[in-house]
Amino acid sequence: MTSGPYNYSYIFKYIIIGDMGVGKSCLLHQFTEKKFMADCPHTIGVEFGTRIIEVAGQKIKLQIWDTAGQERFRAVTRSYYRGAAGALMVYDITRRSTYNHLSSWLTDTRNLTNPSTVIFLIGNKSDLDGQRDVTYEEAKQFADENGLMFVEASAKTGQNVEEAFLETAKKIYQSIQDGRLDLNAAESGVQHKPASPGRPLAAPPASRDPCAC
Amino acid sequence: MPSSDSEDFESADEGRISPNKRERKKRLSSSNYSDNLEDQDNKTTQEPVLHKVAASVKDNIPKDGWDDFDIEEESEPTDIPQKEEIKTAPTEKAQASIAQKIDSQKSGWDDFDDWGEEKDINTKDPQLIPKSQVQNVKEIPDPQEVTKSDGWGWGWGNSLLSTATAGISNLTTQVSQGISTVLETGIGAPDPEELARISAQNNAKENNADSERRNSTETKAEPNEANQSNANEGAFPFGSLLSGVTKFVETTGTKVLAGGLDTLETIGKKTMEVLQDGDPGLAKKRAMLGLDSGDKPVLSQVLREARAKADEEDQMKEAKREAKAVHYETLFDDFEGLVHLEALEMLSKQVSIRIEERLRSADPNKRQDIKETLQQVAELCEMPDEEDEEEDEISEGTSRPDALHERLQRATRDIGLKLQFQPLIKQFTETLAWLETSDVTITEKAVYKKAVSDLAQTTALSVELYHKTAEMLLVKNRRSTADEADALTQLTVVLTKHISDLATQFTEKLTNHASEDKEQINNYITNVFLEAGNSSKYIENAFHLALPIVQIGAV
Repeated sequence: MTSGPYNYSYIFKYIIIGDMGVGKSCLLHQFTEKKFMADCPHTIGVEFGTRIIEVAGQKIKLQIWDTAGQERFRAVTRSYYRGAAGALMVYDITRRSTYNHLSSWLTDTRNLTNPSTVIFLIGNKSDLDGQRDVTYEEAKQFADENGLMFVEASAKTGQNVEEAFLETAKKIYQSIQDGRLDLNAAESGVQHKPASPGRPLAAPPASRDPCAC
Repeated sequence: MPSSDSEDFESADEGRISPNKRERKKRLSSSNYSDNLEDQDNKTTQEPVLHKVAASVKDNIPKDGWDDFDIEEESEPTDIPQKEEIKTAPTEKAQASIAQKIDSQKSGWDDFDDWGEEKDINTKDPQLIPKSQVQNVKEIPDPQEVTKSDGWGWGWGNSLLSTATAGISNLTTQVSQGISTVLETGIGAPDPEELARISAQNNAKENNADSERRNSTETKAEPNEANQSNANEGAFPFGSLLSGVTKFVETTGTKVLAGGLDTLETIGKKTMEVLQDGDPGLAKKRAMLGLDSGDKPVLSQVLREARAKADEEDQMKEAKREAKAVHYETLFDDFEGLVHLEALEMLSKQVSIRIEERLRSADPNKRQDIKETLQQVAELCEMPDEEDEEEDEISEGTSRPDALHERLQRATRDIGLKLQFQPLIKQFTETLAWLETSDVTITEKAVYKKAVSDLAQTTALSVELYHKTAEMLLVKNRRSTADEADALTQLTVVLTKHISDLATQFTEKLTNHASEDKEQINNYITNVFLEAGNSSKYIENAFHLALPIVQIGAV
């Protein structure tokens, strides 16, 4: 484990939700490790990932909660929504059922987070276009109707993965700048961290390109 | 300096016979300062006159000064030869000779009331000064004889002598200006009596050589003023004569000046007092400088203290920076211990709310039963006071990581879950491998860093274990609360033991480390045990957070 300078200004809590097998953990792995994890075990409860990104010259630590998609963990994972600044809601474009469940996930997100939480819809497995079961237009319309941001992405190829995570961060950061997000609120999902050099980071960002978009 | 210096001192010693301090003090405090002020004012402009006056004094003394002295036969013989000397001495040495003269007279003037009048006359008409001055000198011997018995006069004789000589070597215009400021603002300058006493003592001690004497007097004044004062030697003392101040007053003035830094300090104090009016903030500065306490504010000491403080702060900063490099909490966060603990806490709270809801919605008759059940589970999850050693039945030859694995599995065999101990075992294996490397280049600090890091990682993995266990218990189909409670309790025992085992491994490594800095080694060892205690706290905290998750299975 490498340690870098503790030089980020904010910590954003993200939560990744969606049906089992849509590729939540693979998206996270692609984002943090820039690798595709072909043989991904089922997530138990919640797993974590971190990465330092940069938005408008500000270093931000993303603390990502990757929840289990299995229905049996639903009650457990509901405990983890609180205080999320960003929610990445994932479905599988090759499986219609995962898309159909979105309204349920959205309801949970709306109920368990705060109004300023940025919700980003990700249609994963865009590399499997031949097996597509949900059209882009349909999902886009759903996103627009519910005020969600939306991309189709591929955890396998890495397409749009960075964008999804970074756009969410930009939106959160904009909310802070606009004053819509109260940093002092306990459940804002954002912690302000005054830069204090010398403290190691939770993740090794030095080896990574902070912004590849 | 005049050759007659030694005589001065001899007489100074003579004169120091039981001074009547109170009376002297009273006298001094009345008119002396203001007289001196005038001296100084007149000094620069009327130097030529001063010389003339000095000359006239000299001339007058033998002529009409000693008519009244018939009574005191003793003093006359000593006086006369000295006066002859005075006549032949150059003007620069006049002051010294005057001092001699005074000394020889051993004068103790008790009738100071005259002086004020004399001064008035002087200021009105400087030309009258010589007369009155001479008159004064002439009159001196009389009271001296009279007051011999009560002694204060002797004291004065002494002080006059000593301060006159001191004045020659120490006087500067700067200091005298400072004194005039003091006088104008009405400050109580240092007690001349005290100054006189001190200078007399100095003179008495070092009455052998000129240079030595000079040194002693210079200790009270700025050393670099010595040259300047030499230049002023001739002029200043006669200024006092011109202004009509008696020699006594004049010498009192010089005495004050001879106070040197003491006097300047008083000026400083007064300045501070003046500045402080309407500026309460200055009170702090005063306190800082120790002016209020009466201690002498030694600038160098203040600076030294400030520097020491700055050094201390630098060291603290360095220590902090250093500490952050091996900061336990940071490392614990890096190993995701903190976020797992946070997640476990969220889960624990959520479950506690559900338990509360169940209690509320339960039939009132059953409510007490539920409460009792919850209490029983909580009791099951109490840490045993004494660790029974029966657990340590691991067969010989088992590697330590394997032994740990066996203990963990044995502790949790009834929990009904497949727990992942591999990360803990792997980490322990790596730690042992690292400790066994006999790399002599490893510094004690590297060992310490590794110890803290490994403790943090082990703790993070342990917390994660509780978190995962809690999550899995919540999705478990068939709960067996008693077994779960016992398993988690045993798990906690094994993990805290593992932590202390790790700490011991590292402290042994540190103890065996060849180093000169034993103190640093001891500090590291202490910190390793502290962090081990910290680790155990985190583990026990995670265990307590898991309690509601066990409890909810029973209600």
